[in-house]
Amino acid sequence: MDFGYTPEQQALRREVRAFIAEHVTEDVLAERGSSESNTGRGEGGAMKRLYEKVYERGWLGITYPKEYGGQGGDRMTQYIVEEEFTRVDIPVGMGGSGAPAIMAAGTEEQKQYYIPGLIKREISFALGFTEPHAGADLASLQCRAVRDGDEYVINGQKMYTSSAHMATHIYLMARTNPNLPKHRGISIFLFPMDTPGITVRPLWTMQNDPTAPIGTTYGHQRTNETFFEDVRIPAASLLGKENGGWRVGAMGLNLDRVGASRYLISVRRDEDIVNFVKLNSFDGYAPAKDPAIRDKIAELWIEAQVCRLMTMRSMSIVEHGGNFTYEGSAEKTWAPEHGVRTTEAIAQMLGPYGQLLNGSPHAVESGIFAHNLQGAFQSGINHGSTQVMRDQICRRGLDMPRK
Amino acid sequence: MDTTLSEEEVMVRETARKFLEARCPTKLVRAMEKDEKGYPPDLWREAAELGWQGLALPEQYGGSGLPMTYLGLVMHEVGRALTPLPMLSTVTAALTIAAHGDTALCQEVLPKVVSGETILTWAFTEQDPRFLPETVRMRAVADGDHFVLTGTKLFVENFVAADQCLVVCRTSDTGLSVFLVDCRSAGISHRDLVTLAKDRQSEVTFNAVRVPRGRLVGGLNEGAAIAEGLIDRATVLLCAQMLGATRKDMEMAVEWSKFRKAFGQPIGAFQSLQHMCADMLMWVDGGDLLTYEALWKMDQGLPASVEVSQAKAFCNEKCQAVVRGCQVIHGGIGFIMEFDLQLWYRRVCAWTTRFGTAYEHRARIARALLDHPGTVILGQPVPVVAEA
Repeated sequence: MDFGYTPEQQALRREVRAFIAEHVTEDVLAERGSSESNTGRGEGGAMKRLYEKVYERGWLGITYPKEYGGQGGDRMTQYIVEEEFTRVDIPVGMGGSGAPAIMAAGTEEQKQYYIPGLIKREISFALGFTEPHAGADLASLQCRAVRDGDEYVINGQKMYTSSAHMATHIYLMARTNPNLPKHRGISIFLFPMDTPGITVRPLWTMQNDPTAPIGTTYGHQRTNETFFEDVRIPAASLLGKENGGWRVGAMGLNLDRVGASRYLISVRRDEDIVNFVKLNSFDGYAPAKDPAIRDKIAELWIEAQVCRLMTMRSMSIVEHGGNFTYEGSAEKTWAPEHGVRTTEAIAQMLGPYGQLLNGSPHAVESGIFAHNLQGAFQSGINHGSTQVMRDQICRRGLDMPRK
Repeated sequence: MDTTLSEEEVMVRETARKFLEARCPTKLVRAMEKDEKGYPPDLWREAAELGWQGLALPEQYGGSGLPMTYLGLVMHEVGRALTPLPMLSTVTAALTIAAHGDTALCQEVLPKVVSGETILTWAFTEQDPRFLPETVRMRAVADGDHFVLTGTKLFVENFVAADQCLVVCRTSDTGLSVFLVDCRSAGISHRDLVTLAKDRQSEVTFNAVRVPRGRLVGGLNEGAAIAEGLIDRATVLLCAQMLGATRKDMEMAVEWSKFRKAFGQPIGAFQSLQHMCADMLMWVDGGDLLTYEALWKMDQGLPASVEVSQAKAFCNEKCQAVVRGCQVIHGGIGFIMEFDLQLWYRRVCAWTTRFGTAYEHRARIARALLDHPGTVILGQPVPVVAEA
């Protein structure tokens, strides 16, 4: 066991901080506001230039092999860089389960095409998994892909395709054989979002009116439903084997459940509330002196440490060349539920100020705590609900029976 | 950063586990609940042969000089088997003597601890149960080359088995000092407490007990900081012990759920019970991570008080919830005296009450978080303020 960072890792953290202080300038911060900028294609170009500099430093695609544009680095390096950038709300991770799935199951051609593009943030995926009638029970999905010569023809509907309106490509799970048991008739496809036959319709979230401030947990104003009508794609769009998509998809999802950004979305309000109450009082009432609030803040702080340590555990296992079994699911249960507990406790600490949204007179910290009440619980729903995660914990971690 | 166990750490754990599985059956645990001294001397000697008492003591006094994390792994196994040995009180006191005692005292006491000849304990708490310097009223007054100790200590663990006891006394209005007192000194009397764990704890009264000046551990009036270090070590090692017991309890409950049938299936196949067990696993894992991080920080010589408090506040509430859940899973059989489960339940309950409540530890964390200027960042140290 070693709970420390090496001198090299500490130096890296200092280097990243210095870089951020120098290069995350006012124009970058201004552009950061629109989520479209986060793909590196912001209209002002400041974000794009920043990403070019981050790439030059070797801080994008750190854990990916050099032949695909990565750095061949380790996960702790990735973690440190990602943690620092996430604190200024600039994503530098690979953003989803697409890249790990391609590395695991892709053809050489697919790796050469997608991985460098994903690293440089020139390619981004919308995640096409969930359907109107397939959420937690994802394997019951109905979206169809039918082989027709050198092509597949896609028909169906996907829900909560969050970045579909700005992604360059989609990472889609569809049924290729309805006659096989449900998990065995599924395949994964990668293709451009501008392929004819795709329609993206916005679904506006609670965070849209008013707009959630930067850094809000699930502060996205918009998700989408995406329709596929006789969408013809080349057969080479298939990722992995036909009807072998379930394992590939699940593996990618599992990896996407751990890491710095997942950890930080669940714990940043812990830091925020401590730092807020230290500096603020209401006409002489100082929450930081209130014994009930002090006790609750300490309780939440301890839970946040567990989030951090569970993240470290998952990464340690992967660094040793192992695969976590239940540990990733534990992290994906503990952290979101902790984030919710913190968010709800903060509302009770702030009382009526806790309801004020972005832009309101008297709003606390641009209303982020109130907006978080609209977002925090989503992290326990997305990418595998905490209920599904608990099923996995007792199957894989405790070997409990199905029947 | 690596939370996994090294090969050597696994070996430490496995050796301890195998030894205790063979030598510490629940029959022994039950017998010692009724034993006057509360421990079997032959098992104590065997533990010494394995080097447990001296595991983290300096090599110059016969110890092995290994890290606290290793001692934590052993205490985890000691807890797992509910081992009725005065291990926690002895190693905690010995580590304090090693850290603060002068060379002569260390040379006199520590080799005998390592060999298993000497059992130690320590006494801090009086009537006010909080671990704060101002709760210590017992006086030690200088008289020539002696100090005269008068007062009453509570919850002194293994006093009936111990040879010597570290006693924290008030030596001035603002200063505490720590003395190593022979448990059979003239003027000492004790009453045994009846505890949930059926362990040996005593109320110990010191009536003008004369202690030679050479038995002062650390400087005069420097005892508050020494006591804080002592209590931190005791607390984090108790966490390890508690987590060992709690994890074993959970394993027994999970096994029971696979075997026990209701409504035509193992009760472990019911999701309501599965999700309870998933929470239990996350809690004991979380406790382990917090505890070993605190021990690791101690090994690095870094401040670890906040980390100790994180671990204990978490373990107090979560270990309690886990062992309660294990009782619930077992149903009626779980509280029958003949059935072993209650042995674990009673001890974990008792240990959650020792060395600082969840409220006390959270108050300590809150002081570190809130009573200092500057911005806090998760994963980076926060300062600790001693209670004024």
